[in-house]
Amino acid sequence: MSWLTPHIGTQLVDLGSALLLLTCFAIVAQRRLSACVDLFALQSLFLAMTAALVAFLTGTPHIYFAAALTVLVKVLVIPRVLKRVIERLNVTRELVMNINVPASLLICGVLVMVAFFITQPIMPFGHLLTRDSLAIALAIVLIGFFTMIARQKAVTQLIAFLVMENGLFLGATAATYGMPLIVELGVFFDVLVAALIAGIYTNRLQDAFDSVDTTRLSELKE
Amino acid sequence: MTVDYMTIAVSLLLLPPLMAGGLSLLITSSRRLHLTNLISIGTLIAAEVAITRTVLAQGSVTAFGEIVYIDALSSVILFIIGTVGLACSLYMRSYMDDQVARGVIAPNRLNLFFFLFHMFILAMVVATVANSLGVQWVAIEATTLATTFLIAFWRRRESLEAGWKYLILCSVGISLALFGVVLMYYSSLRVLGDVSSALNITQLQQVAAQLDPHILKLAFVFLFVGYGTKVGLVPMHSWLPDAYTEAPAPVAAMLAGVLETVAVYAILRSRAIVDQAVSPEFTGGLLALFGLVSFALAAFFILLQHNYKRLFAYSSIEHMGLAMIGFGVGGAIGNFGGLFHLVNHAFAKSLAFFAAGNIHRRFKTVEIDQVHGLVTVLPWSALALMIAGLALAALPPFALFASEMQIITALGTSGLPGEWLQSGPRIPVIILLFCSLVAFAGVLSRITSMVWGVPPKDVPEGEQWSVGHIPIILLGAVLLGFCWVLPTPLRQLLDTASAMLVNR
Repeated sequence: MSWLTPHIGTQLVDLGSALLLLTCFAIVAQRRLSACVDLFALQSLFLAMTAALVAFLTGTPHIYFAAALTVLVKVLVIPRVLKRVIERLNVTRELVMNINVPASLLICGVLVMVAFFITQPIMPFGHLLTRDSLAIALAIVLIGFFTMIARQKAVTQLIAFLVMENGLFLGATAATYGMPLIVELGVFFDVLVAALIAGIYTNRLQDAFDSVDTTRLSELKE
Repeated sequence: MTVDYMTIAVSLLLLPPLMAGGLSLLITSSRRLHLTNLISIGTLIAAEVAITRTVLAQGSVTAFGEIVYIDALSSVILFIIGTVGLACSLYMRSYMDDQVARGVIAPNRLNLFFFLFHMFILAMVVATVANSLGVQWVAIEATTLATTFLIAFWRRRESLEAGWKYLILCSVGISLALFGVVLMYYSSLRVLGDVSSALNITQLQQVAAQLDPHILKLAFVFLFVGYGTKVGLVPMHSWLPDAYTEAPAPVAAMLAGVLETVAVYAILRSRAIVDQAVSPEFTGGLLALFGLVSFALAAFFILLQHNYKRLFAYSSIEHMGLAMIGFGVGGAIGNFGGLFHLVNHAFAKSLAFFAAGNIHRRFKTVEIDQVHGLVTVLPWSALALMIAGLALAALPPFALFASEMQIITALGTSGLPGEWLQSGPRIPVIILLFCSLVAFAGVLSRITSMVWGVPPKDVPEGEQWSVGHIPIILLGAVLLGFCWVLPTPLRQLLDTASAMLVNR
């Protein structure tokens, strides 16, 4: 494919990373829980596409494998589990937010700048193809971290955790063309089990507290 | 010949918990579950002894084509996993059966408990022997997953809350550590090329001096914050008191004694690599600063506690802070003191939680105010609580005194590392001594009020002898003994391990 020069390749990888970041903002702005899950699935799909693109451009076959696992675990299995959890709950919307949507978006914008600032000194060392993605990956991790603090529903916190994990995976793919296969498999396994455990937990919290609002979790105090 | 022998030994380290975990799901009788558990731990310890002998003779052991790497440092951690694991297993024999007999847990949930317990041990062993930093991360995250349900095992509202908090906080913290691992890989790829062994400790140690200092600094900050959450360093500690209070006593003992130690090990491993490229003052300053803050804050929180399990939880934060100061200050004495402190703390804290478990079962409360006259109600547990309390307050005839003295000596000789912390050794030593006095007073006053006094009328008196008392007596004896005589193999091991940690 002669039209696919390295320059266009870099642009495409940057585009993929930017789409991931964009879905991050969409998740922060979204109040409906089921829409958050859909957005997470979409983000994972973008992640898989970016990974596949990197695999194609660099000719590293094991990233294809990781991309396929992403589709299986994060686009199909985990969203389905989350949907089922939400169906059982009596809430569909994030009603009370610690920080409202406009302020959240503003803070996320600042976080993106922070991420670029932190990674600026180490970016020149990276592969040419995926240099900018490292900053975007860190931005996604930070936004996930922030969402965890800003939102109260157990499900939203879980999605925020998964978003962080997506950011990390983008970082690993972008900065290093994927981690060693054994590590990547382990990470996928951990994420899957963590999501399942958190799903079970949400059900138990619902049974015990009649709510998945984590502010109700306040029986343990000093 | 030796290679084969080591492969067998390493398999005997990893297979028993795996197989015992699988078997536990099938077995229903409680006796067999305990038997499987003891056999598994026994084999694990035998394998550890064999490996440690080779490590002392050869320096390090690799197996399965460099997937497994064990040196003196990992052997020390394995020693802690084995001994505390054995103590917990013996204690569980009386503790869990009692809980089943009292109807707190359904008999058919016992095998789930054992399955998770084995997976917990397996994950910790893998984290300790893994050569790859990535595999180590995966294993440490796996410990979080295995222990969440153990912490919430009573399924009360409070335990669910503690479990959820633990799962979320530790998973998030650990995610940050994964970013650190990615950065580490990022830096080593430039030197080693695109090879899958570029995350291996053996490889990284060889090329560490050529790695880029900027990337390594950033990587270490992420790794330290991530694994520091698991250690329970202030300000990432908020999950810890809740989890320790709600977890069943043997699980709390394992969390406090072993899991924290494994997380410290992960930090030390990365530090040994980062230190070769970056000035050791950077990592040392970070460790010592967080250690000092944790130590000081936890000491004051100890004063506020009215729940004895939370008291021990804060004392864990305090002692981990102290060990971190030891490692941060570094030098031969600091590192030796830090490692020795980890060993002693593991023993003292498991002893404390065993006593707490016995008290909780008899008095049915965790409030310090409602527990009096322990010496007539539960004489053996009272003795155990007294020994654990005095040891945790670092009083002279106990081993924690020796290690705490070493750490303070190290701090007094070299002061805090790092340019921005340099103010001479005097101020940090004074802070340290003052805070340890505060902690000493806090722990001791609470424990004496529990041990002496008139017991409440509705609590039956007298303590029946059970298997669970064996580990209590042994741990007490060890804590007393280690202050005077350190067995030669253990001393050698600690010496070699701390020599490895001394920053070049």
